[in-house]
Amino acid sequence: MTRTAAVLRLRPPRHRVERRAVGWWALRALLGTAILVGGLGTGYALAEPARPWLGPPLLAAALLGPAYLLVTPPWRYRVHRWETTEAAVYAASGWFVREWRVAPISRIQTVDTTRGPLEQLLGLATLAVTTASAHGTIHIVGLDQQVAREAARHLTALTEATPGDAT
Amino acid sequence: MTAEVPWRRLDTRMIWVDAVRSLLSLAPAGLAVGVFGARPGPAMWPVAVVAVVGVTGAAGDALRWLKTRYRITDEHVERRTGLLVRRYRSIRRDRIRSVDTSARLRHRLAGLRLVTIGAGQHSAAGEAALALDAVSRETAQWLRQALLYDRPAQPETAAASPETELARLDWRWVFYNVFNVWAYLAAAGVLWGAHWLATTFGLDLAGSLAGLVDWRQPWSVGLGLLAVGAFGVGVLAVSFLTEHWRFRLVRVPGEHGTVLRTTQGLLKTREVNRDDDRLRGLAISEPLLWRWLGVADTNVITTGLSMWSLSPASTILPRGPVRVARSVATRVLGAEPLVATLRRHPRAALRRRVGWAVLATGVAAGLLGWLAATVDAVPGWAPLAGLGLLPMALAAAAVAYRALGHTRSGDYLVVRSGLVSRTTAALQSRAVVGWCLRQSLLQRRLGLATVVAATAAGDGQYAGYDLPAAEAAGFAGRAVPGLLAPFLVTDQESPQ
Repeated sequence: MTRTAAVLRLRPPRHRVERRAVGWWALRALLGTAILVGGLGTGYALAEPARPWLGPPLLAAALLGPAYLLVTPPWRYRVHRWETTEAAVYAASGWFVREWRVAPISRIQTVDTTRGPLEQLLGLATLAVTTASAHGTIHIVGLDQQVAREAARHLTALTEATPGDAT
Repeated sequence: MTAEVPWRRLDTRMIWVDAVRSLLSLAPAGLAVGVFGARPGPAMWPVAVVAVVGVTGAAGDALRWLKTRYRITDEHVERRTGLLVRRYRSIRRDRIRSVDTSARLRHRLAGLRLVTIGAGQHSAAGEAALALDAVSRETAQWLRQALLYDRPAQPETAAASPETELARLDWRWVFYNVFNVWAYLAAAGVLWGAHWLATTFGLDLAGSLAGLVDWRQPWSVGLGLLAVGAFGVGVLAVSFLTEHWRFRLVRVPGEHGTVLRTTQGLLKTREVNRDDDRLRGLAISEPLLWRWLGVADTNVITTGLSMWSLSPASTILPRGPVRVARSVATRVLGAEPLVATLRRHPRAALRRRVGWAVLATGVAAGLLGWLAATVDAVPGWAPLAGLGLLPMALAAAAVAYRALGHTRSGDYLVVRSGLVSRTTAALQSRAVVGWCLRQSLLQRRLGLATVVAATAAGDGQYAGYDLPAAEAAGFAGRAVPGLLAPFLVTDQESPQ
């Protein structure tokens, strides 16, 4: 006789990140690959004795970099999601290794938005929610700047209204 | 209280201590010159170094005494110090989490105590606790009473206050602390120091010791090694006993609830007080190499205590038998999460570890093969040596798998993992300040997931690795009711 068991699982958070985030991830991957391949390539071209050592890493970087560039941005876009409720912040991130993070509003210490140069270029922002744990910070990347600002304001107001000692 | 609280100096007896210290550090040099008739020369270096270090240390200490002031106002503990660079440090009294007293031998002889006031500083960010080196024993007592219990000291009531003894030193614990590789290091250190000092007096200690061993005979060398090892064990035993002399772990009532207090030490005494309000759990770790002996370290999980020092304040028991650790843990927590039966993790977790072991061995063999092909010095059989690691890697995988476990016990969630040091951590549900579920694609295929509880206390996070994927969210959700509830959905799924 087969019996059905109730299995609890986390549902995905409600909101996707911005479509532009794909471009941001791609740009970052492109820059990273370019720097790595450029550096190794320069070394390979200039330092002849080091060639047996630089050859394999250079080859690996030249092959894996573009693959990473093509695969991860759309993959990340499918995974990255976020939502805030009256009681908690919830975000999913990653690609090969996925993470679902939850932090209760009552334990939030700071809410920051940051915008790096590439993010500025694309009108994106990162929302960082920190708790008293050194390992509990939630980073929500690829948000529209306006949305991130609004979310930060909302969370700050909620945090102030929610009792809690944050530890 | 009055508006202006006067600044106080450290204890005057420090000056005397420093004077005696300078004289003592000059003594070996005086002895060498006066009694043994040593001539200035290279042989005098060791005693000269001892003398210079001793005198400058003592002089610096005296200057520090001169320039240090502290005071305790209604809201802050303040300290000003520094000769060239003036430093001002203040700690809010409501943030004070521990007041520890310790004393080196010279402090004890002069009736002084070193008081360390901890306020949940992040040692990673380079913040140190506020230390007062040194005040008199009475002042130390008063400081502790005033800062932890928010009232002046009342010696009679403090002495009469009922305390519960949770553990005291057992002589047999010595055996858990002396048989390790440090014995050789300790022996080497002590012998080298003795040799170094002896050269000043014209003795060649190393030479005469080495002369006892016949270097052509293996048994003689073996015996020599054994003798050094035995000497090292002796050194470790003495150092363990002096450090943990009259060790006691007691629970003492305070104004804000109770305090966990350890006292220990023969020459250098140490007393650490931990506010029970900040206790969030307890972790017992069992190092792999001594698992057969049942050796365990016991640490409390609290907020605001530094974890990263050689003898962290979170350690509430000397290294000893795991049986004792568990029973003390149960009495400290007043609950039994650390004796609860843990749920084993699925076989797939073993498969994952075996996979990693094979992969790591393969990579090591591949790298060695590449090295053998490119570097002449690396012999051709090197990749085979890499493959030779496979049995060890597989054994490690099995050990790591067997270490896994998790459960809930009352208000505690309990997770166990670790290869080199198997750590069982029991964390109060209320201490969880966030959850993280992690799953790689491979874990997903194997039906596994890792659950990490973030907390402000202890290590900052406690992870249950490779739980069954179907249970992971439920485990986290039930451990801290309400937090995950809005994000959980129920799947109807038939069990295999």
